[in-house]
Amino acid sequence: MNEIEIGEKLSALHDGELESSEIDELIDLVSKDTQLQKKLSFYSVMGMAANYESNNVVKIKSKKTKNIFSNLWLSNAMTAAASILLTLIFLNDNDFSRMNVDSKSFDQITSAINSKEAKNIAKQSEEYLTDHIMRIINDPSFMISNSNNIDLRNVGYKTNAIQGLGYSKGDENFQLRLEKKDFTLNSIKYWKHGNKMIYLVPMKDGRTLTLYGNISLSTAMTVAKSLNL
Amino acid sequence: MKKNSDDIDSVLIEKAKNGNEGAFSILVNKYHPRVYASLFSFTKSKEDSEDLSQQTFIKVWQQLSSFRGESAFFTWVYRIAINLAKNYVSSAAYKKQKISSSIEFLELDVSSFEDLESIIIHDQSLIEINDFIITMPESLKTAFTMREVEGKSYDEISEITKTPIGTVRSRIFRARESIIEYMKKELIDNE
Repeated sequence: MNEIEIGEKLSALHDGELESSEIDELIDLVSKDTQLQKKLSFYSVMGMAANYESNNVVKIKSKKTKNIFSNLWLSNAMTAAASILLTLIFLNDNDFSRMNVDSKSFDQITSAINSKEAKNIAKQSEEYLTDHIMRIINDPSFMISNSNNIDLRNVGYKTNAIQGLGYSKGDENFQLRLEKKDFTLNSIKYWKHGNKMIYLVPMKDGRTLTLYGNISLSTAMTVAKSLNL
Repeated sequence: MKKNSDDIDSVLIEKAKNGNEGAFSILVNKYHPRVYASLFSFTKSKEDSEDLSQQTFIKVWQQLSSFRGESAFFTWVYRIAINLAKNYVSSAAYKKQKISSSIEFLELDVSSFEDLESIIIHDQSLIEINDFIITMPESLKTAFTMREVEGKSYDEISEITKTPIGTVRSRIFRARESIIEYMKKELIDNE
């Protein structure tokens, strides 16, 4: 193999596009050549640079909808806040009960969440949730591998094949996943990741809706509501 | 069948589990920059991030047999790194761990990475690389961006650009070569 052939194979290995039969030979070559090893790190750094805008994680912080007014991202526009509030009320009226806390059950819930079993479930759910968020951030194919055939035209969003089979309307574009996964969420949770948002919405039927992209909370809830009927 | 990075990682992980240090070395070099970046954002210290990323991969090597593939490999590695960082932050008695002789090769790999660290921790360098990518010839830029930013497979890029898959592979490689050349020339002092 000449240098270019080796380089092409190394590049394909980085992308997960190398045939299994070619791996052994390349491992041998890489383990003896520090320059080839270093190239893999270069590939990784340039990948970070290419995704810099979207992968610039300023802060990943879970927030619940009840704290929406403390979110600076929204607080600049009173009209936006007002529309979100209206949407919240509207959704709650439409049996989005998983977002509410039933005060009558508070004591029962308190004792239940202190049980060993509940703690184990919570710990496991938190790990699943971490995995899920990490995959959204780190695996570009994750958000395009599920639920691309959901029709959102009824709420004005058309599929956008150019942007990786996402949905778009005006300046907003996003990708979604809808799956049978229980993260034991009882409310919408969302994170800011670079200039994008990640929303996890518990659905009535036990599924979880994930939305990722340039999308506001009110849009996320509108989409969730359209799927939650 | 569509391949992805996780499939190749699984092959490398299995080989590493069976003691193939070369396979493990590939995984280290592939993920070290991202681990380092995560640790730097946590510690804000180059020295501590170097130290912790070295410890992370030592721990990954030691615990590799327990990795069952239930999550992506990087997620697992990331969790180890962040747990180490949390312990580091919370423990006043934090002490540097000696690198065991059985994994000395890791030390070499990590030291060879030092010149890339400054790129990772300086946003401006990442922006400059991005600016350079924009100036690349259209065919290279398209193939590279579809792969790195949009996460498309070589098959998909081939179909979209109506180009043979071998050409896609070659264009992505050439794009990377030219970015490396730019990084060495403009962003790394000692090369």
